[in-house]
Amino acid sequence: MSRQRQRDHWLARPENIRRIWRGFWAVLALTVAAQFFIPVKGHFVVDGWPAFGAIFGFFSCLAMVVAAKALGYSLKREEDYYLEGGYLEDREQQDA
Amino acid sequence: MPEYLPPAVILIVAALLIGPTRGHVRSAIVLLAPLATLWAIWQVPNGVVLTVPFLDYQIEPVEGSEVRRLFATIFAIMAFAGGLFSFRQARWYELAAANAYAAGAVGVSFAGDLITLFLFWELMALFSTVIVWAGGTPAARAAGIRYAVMHLVGGVILKVGIEGTVVHTGSIDIMPVLATNFDTWMMLIGILINAAAPPVSAWLADAYPESSPTGSVFLSAFTTKTAVLALILLFPGEPVLIWVGIYMVMYGIIYALLENDARRILAYSIVNQVGFMVCAVGIGTQMALNGAAAHAFAHIIYKALLFMSAGVVVYRTGKSRCTDLGGLFRTMPLTTVCGIIGALAISSFPLTSGFTTKSMISDAAASEHLVVVWYLLAAASAGVFLHAGIKFPWFVFFQKDSGLRPKDAPWNMGAAMVLFAVLCIGLGIYPQPLYELLPYPVDYVPYKAGKVLFYLQLLLFSGLAFFLLLPLMQRTRTISLDTDWIWRVALYRVAYGVGAAAREAGDLLAGAVDRIRGDIARYGRRHLGAGETGEDRGVFAQAWPIGLTALWIAVLLIAYVVVYLL
Amino acid sequence: MSGQATILAALAAPLAGAIGILLAGRLSANLRETVTLVTAVILAVVVWSLIPELMAGGRPALSVAEVVPGIEIAFRVEPLGMLFAALASGLWIINSIYSIGYMRGNNEANQTRFYFFFAISLAAAMGVAFAANLFTLFLFYEALTLSTYPLVSHKGDEKTIRSARVYLGILLTTSIGLFLPAIVWTYMAAGTGDFTPGGILEGNLEGPLIGLLLGLFVFGVGKAAVMPVHRWLPAAMVAPTPVSALLHAVAVVKAGVFTITKLIVYIFGVDYLFAQPSGQWLLYAAAFTIVAASAVALRQTNIKRLLAYSTVSQLSYVVLAADILKPLAEVGAAIHMVAHAFGKITLFFAAGAIYTAARKTEIGQLAGIGRRMPWTMAAFTIGAFSMIGVPPTGGFVSKWYILAGAFEADNYVAIFTMIASTALNALYFLPIIYLAWFGREPEGAQEHGEAPFPAVLALTATAALTVLFFFFNGPVIALERQLIEVWE
Repeated sequence: MSRQRQRDHWLARPENIRRIWRGFWAVLALTVAAQFFIPVKGHFVVDGWPAFGAIFGFFSCLAMVVAAKALGYSLKREEDYYLEGGYLEDREQQDA
Repeated sequence: MPEYLPPAVILIVAALLIGPTRGHVRSAIVLLAPLATLWAIWQVPNGVVLTVPFLDYQIEPVEGSEVRRLFATIFAIMAFAGGLFSFRQARWYELAAANAYAAGAVGVSFAGDLITLFLFWELMALFSTVIVWAGGTPAARAAGIRYAVMHLVGGVILKVGIEGTVVHTGSIDIMPVLATNFDTWMMLIGILINAAAPPVSAWLADAYPESSPTGSVFLSAFTTKTAVLALILLFPGEPVLIWVGIYMVMYGIIYALLENDARRILAYSIVNQVGFMVCAVGIGTQMALNGAAAHAFAHIIYKALLFMSAGVVVYRTGKSRCTDLGGLFRTMPLTTVCGIIGALAISSFPLTSGFTTKSMISDAAASEHLVVVWYLLAAASAGVFLHAGIKFPWFVFFQKDSGLRPKDAPWNMGAAMVLFAVLCIGLGIYPQPLYELLPYPVDYVPYKAGKVLFYLQLLLFSGLAFFLLLPLMQRTRTISLDTDWIWRVALYRVAYGVGAAAREAGDLLAGAVDRIRGDIARYGRRHLGAGETGEDRGVFAQAWPIGLTALWIAVLLIAYVVVYLL
Repeated sequence: MSGQATILAALAAPLAGAIGILLAGRLSANLRETVTLVTAVILAVVVWSLIPELMAGGRPALSVAEVVPGIEIAFRVEPLGMLFAALASGLWIINSIYSIGYMRGNNEANQTRFYFFFAISLAAAMGVAFAANLFTLFLFYEALTLSTYPLVSHKGDEKTIRSARVYLGILLTTSIGLFLPAIVWTYMAAGTGDFTPGGILEGNLEGPLIGLLLGLFVFGVGKAAVMPVHRWLPAAMVAPTPVSALLHAVAVVKAGVFTITKLIVYIFGVDYLFAQPSGQWLLYAAAFTIVAASAVALRQTNIKRLLAYSTVSQLSYVVLAADILKPLAEVGAAIHMVAHAFGKITLFFAAGAIYTAARKTEIGQLAGIGRRMPWTMAAFTIGAFSMIGVPPTGGFVSKWYILAGAFEADNYVAIFTMIASTALNALYFLPIIYLAWFGREPEGAQEHGEAPFPAVLALTATAALTVLFFFFNGPVIALERQLIEVWE
């Protein structure tokens, strides 16, 4: 119902997106900085180090995204991969 | 006359009444029956309260305890919220099946012995299949049949384990055991099939997305969580579960990252989350089991919330693939916010129910000095935020402008979502009521400044990773192969080949038999004369004339008599 | 009435009824149907009156004639036979009600002939059930084959007669070529053919000869449809459905597996056979039949042929259970005869109802039929669940006992066969259930309603029995447990 001329939703406007990103970076920096004031007790030594949560989180995600991408090369198939020839599909055609 | 009716009966009666009733009466049944069941659940005291003779045993359909009441409670709440979400949009048979399905879950919760557990287990399998089929599409039909076969086979494997245990130990009681012999292994495998543990997890992502927008909400809750309860009751501390759980966690993340369909992403996410619970059961300490139970409780709520938001999207747009969606926040603010709350909860963001429950499991691992497990669970928490916490809401509601401008949720769907969203936040801020319901005493304090900070770092930087790596995660119109390829493709081809070979052999044999028969018949006709001899025709038609038969009888009887007299 | 008189009455009643049917048939159809029903009720009453005595441990016996010194026609009622006779006589009543609806609904010709041979077949079945020795059993077994032939070939057209010939040919060839020699051999080896608790072959025959004799018996009893002597069953599907229901639930196939079970318990002896390695092959033959027949069923598009192969598979459950050779498994074999009977007769009744109401015979035609024929398809669904073994149906109970028996013997072949066959059964029944309830009728489909009332009544009754057997099976189990006490 909104015409192209009208301004888009406030979340979609480019200037707001930039603002959100800046805010995000600020919060990230804050969480790392806060570790100087709030001690993080580590269960296993390493996890008490400064910014461990941040680094571990970031790089685990990186690893997982890369691993998924790699596995995707062998696992991915077209959407309708299963639709030809299988007992149930044959049965459906027989029965239809 | 039993003093305590199994609470599940209320839901079964409701299921039976939904069909014949209409309009407001039907709606009232759908909404009130779960509440009545909730009341009944809280009347059940600890211990065995009902015994009934069945076959050669005295089965115990109702046995109460803290953890059983906890699970039954959340199942009843789920039935209510699901009913609220669906009662104006779903078909009557889906609602009826949902009530029967919930009845099965509540029945399993209170099952005092293995036989009762199995009977309600099968009830769940049957009616969840109906819910899958209620999706109405050919894909739903096929997925439902695969689902049913998988669950019936899982059921019979469980039954084999139970019967072996019963025959060898003489007891039908539900007691903690370890997987040490054939019987206990079969029970474990049967339960793990329902828990969607790889390599037998494909059924979940195969079937759940094919159900209707309302059906998937019900499906997300019961089957896997009753399996978790069964593990808590039967296999606490079984070490193999730790690694099965970790594998499930990683499997869920990877497959969810590859997936395009929004509801399938959530389905893989179920496997991921249940993996946390399974791992916790494997750790087996009091804190771990508390964690598993608390996590199950919270998970049902926020997973249902996620499926509800996805369900609204499918209901309003008819689309479920990330490649087709995006930018829906403009016209569906309520759904978006509820979806985000669910996503934050599943990621264990502080101030949500996920934070106050799932972190117990990590702490339990730490207490047991399971270093590798702890690190993997931490990485997994990051991964959850990645694949469900951000990916799901981002691709569905934001991402790009897909041009779709659907209306927001209908009032009843909105109400159900708000209810669960409030619970997610509520249990995040004030988890005490939940802690009181846990099986073991809780001396766990979730909101320690250090821990909150650690998780905030973990999660927020995972979020950063997501947005920075977005180009690597573009959605494609694909599916990912899973172990079910083995029986959907490989086994079928093998069976087909065997069948073709058998038919070849059969034809050759038939030809040979025909020739031999022709010779014998000609011989018979020439030398033994009378009797009706039709033309030799057809396959395997060894048509001996009746006269010939009578002659043979006489000959053999006389032969016997002669031999006897000798 | 004394036990002996009762046995005689059980044989005489259906024969007398047959004559009555012939006579009444000349007068009026309704009179004839009444005679059938009355005869069925009388038979059931007579047979069931034996139950209290059996439960108390009694074994009524009757000796009729000595044909040749050492060989007599004699009867003796024991738990297995009691079960078979009670099942057959009880279900005959329901089957007759169904037949009325079916035969009239389809305007079948030669109905008098139909009811006449039906009654004779029941008499033969009673003879098989109560036989006290191999000779008597063989006589009535053959009589059953011959009396069911006119029923199978009822339709009279060329295709039907050809299939009926296959039926007759296989059954007669196996019984005369394999069963009879086996009987003769048994008499020679043991000096008697009497069914004796604990068996008669111990000490008289051993080693590989046992395996051979077992083979002659198992393949000679073609009615048990162990592969490869099973082809007569799908061939017999040309019969009108009440006949298929009779063949596949009540008389013929149950006579087959009943005979094999009885042979194992009373001729070979369970413990003796368990100790004979040469008898092990039967386990594998039965397991193979269970799986292979289900695999063939997967490919069927005709409803009755699918049910026929399902029956071949289910019959071998009884054979498998009997050959596990442990107490609970023998009980399971007996119970499965009952559970399968209830479930299969329901399925066949439903198939016949669909044919009568809608003239449909292929699975593919069943789209959406659940909405037009809800009672029929509900009964079909229950029957299907019983075949798969899902609670709350009778099939669950029997499979429970068979599995328990398998564990008593640590028989993993049996256990895994049960798992595999559950999957296969689900694979061929579920598409039908889906199609009937969730499928959409094609455009311009012919309108039709439920089947004639007597047919619907009958199938509802047997579906109810299938479910009730899940809850109320105590007396049957108690009766069959006496089988175990027999040799303990």
